[in-house]
Amino acid sequence: MKTHSSGFHPSVLILYAKKLILDPIHSFGRYSQLLFRAFGAVPEFGTYRKNLWEQMIHVGIDSMPIVMLAAAFSGAVTTVQTSYQLVSPLIPKSIIGSIVVPSMVLELGAVVTGFILAGRVGARIAAELGTMRVTEQIDAIEAMGLNSIGYLIVPRVIAGIVMFPVLYIAACFVGIGGGMLVGHIGGFVSIGEFVDGAREYFQPFDPIFGMIKCLVFGFIITSVSCFKGYYTRGGAEGVGKATTEAAVASCVFLLLADLVLAATLL
Amino acid sequence: MNISNELKVGLTIITAAVIFILGVRYFQDLPLFATTYELTAEFKDAGGLIPGNLVRVHGVSVGSVETVNISQESGKVDVTFHIDRKIIVTEGSYASVSGIDALGAVRMDLYLGPLDAAVIPEGGRIGVGEGNDLFGDLTARAPDMIEKFSEVLNGLDIVVSETGTLLSEPESDFRKTLASVKGSMAQLESLLTSERTRLSSILLNVEDATGSLKTLTAENGPAVSKLITDLSATLTTLDVELESLGEASRSLNELLAKVNSGQGTLGMLVNDPSMYNKMDSTLDGINALLADFKASPGKYLGEMKLVDLF
Repeated sequence: MKTHSSGFHPSVLILYAKKLILDPIHSFGRYSQLLFRAFGAVPEFGTYRKNLWEQMIHVGIDSMPIVMLAAAFSGAVTTVQTSYQLVSPLIPKSIIGSIVVPSMVLELGAVVTGFILAGRVGARIAAELGTMRVTEQIDAIEAMGLNSIGYLIVPRVIAGIVMFPVLYIAACFVGIGGGMLVGHIGGFVSIGEFVDGAREYFQPFDPIFGMIKCLVFGFIITSVSCFKGYYTRGGAEGVGKATTEAAVASCVFLLLADLVLAATLL
Repeated sequence: MNISNELKVGLTIITAAVIFILGVRYFQDLPLFATTYELTAEFKDAGGLIPGNLVRVHGVSVGSVETVNISQESGKVDVTFHIDRKIIVTEGSYASVSGIDALGAVRMDLYLGPLDAAVIPEGGRIGVGEGNDLFGDLTARAPDMIEKFSEVLNGLDIVVSETGTLLSEPESDFRKTLASVKGSMAQLESLLTSERTRLSSILLNVEDATGSLKTLTAENGPAVSKLITDLSATLTTLDVELESLGEASRSLNELLAKVNSGQGTLGMLVNDPSMYNKMDSTLDGINALLADFKASPGKYLGEMKLVDLF
């Protein structure tokens, strides 16, 4: 084979093409296969019933404090920065409320919760499943005749789908409350004006859209993390790699889904 | 007490659901616990109304718009809205869309009918009225306003062209007036130029005199002030004197009054005629005696020893 003039071998290009195009498609195929098997295992409620409640506690209730903290601060910061940008005397103060509330409900509530869950829950799921895989516990489950996907993945994904909206509601509640409180204490906008502005521009579809996002985000974070963990390879190092990849991939797909949902539903 | 995982999860989900429902109702300005009342209004033009916009009665928010749909059969817009059950909507009530669409603050105003009329049932339809849409009004009146504006502009144009003609015509009064004003100004200017030296010397003199006066005042300051003090003292003394003079004249008045009224010796002297009468008769007697003496002095002198010596 003729060498490239710059010393660049054509087989390297093929390697890159494989890495850039084929590998993601390959991964997506495996991911779809895993999901397919998982959906098939959903009716086997008895297999994962006990595990489901445990996962709901881990994914939902244990994440509540950190999600609420982040949401409270993002609401407060949105209020302060909106009032900082409102310099025109022609714009009423109540506009702050009509900016902060839809921001929280449409975007910040879901995305802030999503990022925290990707870091906290995604990494945890990948590490758990990865360790089980490299220590051959998953093989042991299979050897006992249990459906490992039904037993390990289904409860985690269901817990994510169910508990994410709960966390989102908590985030919105605390975020809007925090914004209102900081606006009032900081003298940017009174609570009455804030609520007036929020009501003036409130659309009932906004929280519904937020909920739809939550269901999608909950599914993405848990399923991607399960996928990364379930197919871990290479010992302790592999577990670390899977954990990082789970958190990063969850965040990336979450942002992608955010854009797709906003573009299609709004 | 050991709370099971199922209970924890269940409680959390129920709490979240309650917060969600109440939160949505709160921001829709619907009562949190009471039920609401659904009504429909059929608008020809919804004017930018969207679900979630506020419904107001007399400027107070009482609910919000639920759906805005175009009705295929009627070709109009069906607007469904929820309001607080405490608001009694009777026959004759009507709704209108108000606010400025361009600013995003569109709302629905509800004008209630008479209280004694029949109440519109849940899910009923109410009439629509003309909204007080400022922007819409402005748009509707714009053609008229533009026409008027153009008339005004035409008038202005005529005025400007007339003025131009007036100014450009050499025989016009306006031009003459301007020319004479110009002449007067030129004369005044020449006068000022020719008399400039004198004017400036007059001004200099005035300045000099003022300066001298100032110097004089400054130099003789103490003397002047002493003079003024003395003058003031003198005036004070004069004041006291005048006062005592007044008192004297008052006493004199009193005295004269007494005299007039016939009190005291002087009074009697002035007022009693008897003394005069007596004096008169006495003088008459003296006159007769003197006449008698003149006639025959011996009669009187013969008795006198001294006279005998002669």
